[in-house]
Amino acid sequence: MTQPKGFRTANKRYLMIFVPMMAFYCVAIAVAFTFIDIDTASTGVRMGAAIAIALPLIAILMAILRLVRETDEYTRMRQLQALSEGGVMLTGAIFILGFLERFNVIPDIPLFLFGPGFFFFYGLAHLRQSLGKIV
Amino acid sequence: MENNIRTLRAERGWSQQHLADLLDVSRQSVNAIETGKYDPSLPLAFAIARLFERHIEEIFDDGRGVAKAAE
Repeated sequence: MTQPKGFRTANKRYLMIFVPMMAFYCVAIAVAFTFIDIDTASTGVRMGAAIAIALPLIAILMAILRLVRETDEYTRMRQLQALSEGGVMLTGAIFILGFLERFNVIPDIPLFLFGPGFFFFYGLAHLRQSLGKIV
Repeated sequence: MENNIRTLRAERGWSQQHLADLLDVSRQSVNAIETGKYDPSLPLAFAIARLFERHIEEIFDDGRGVAKAAE
């Protein structure tokens, strides 16, 4: 298991993953939506594009978990609070939107939107922290 | 828990960022400890004490020492 490495080293290691993976994600999504025709491309091409777009995001999520393990204790506590609060808010949103969708109140929601939804709530939790709502 | 880190830091003319760099923690950590919003773990408390060349109880006060002495 990864041991705490201190705030600076942990941040540096996080950015070493985050920056190239975010760049890869932007390029992958631009290439996929520019050059791949969803209606005519083969299953293999569409699957490859979907995985190529998702993989850097998974790498970023893993980097966040590593940052939590390696950073200083106070930052770890804040990150864990933001992650848990973000997760709870997202789960609540999934329940509400899911049942609204199930009872045909709203149209079907693309599943992948819950990914950005998590990052939105995670950011919102950090914002609440900075406003002193939680530690 | 109360502490006198702000005073000790001011005596040395250190900023919160400088102290954070010396402890390898975030500036927010130092601020949270100074303002009593966060109590550091024992290893971090020892690191702070070593940095200021003081005993832990000279820096941190949980209020019980004073109460016990008054009994």
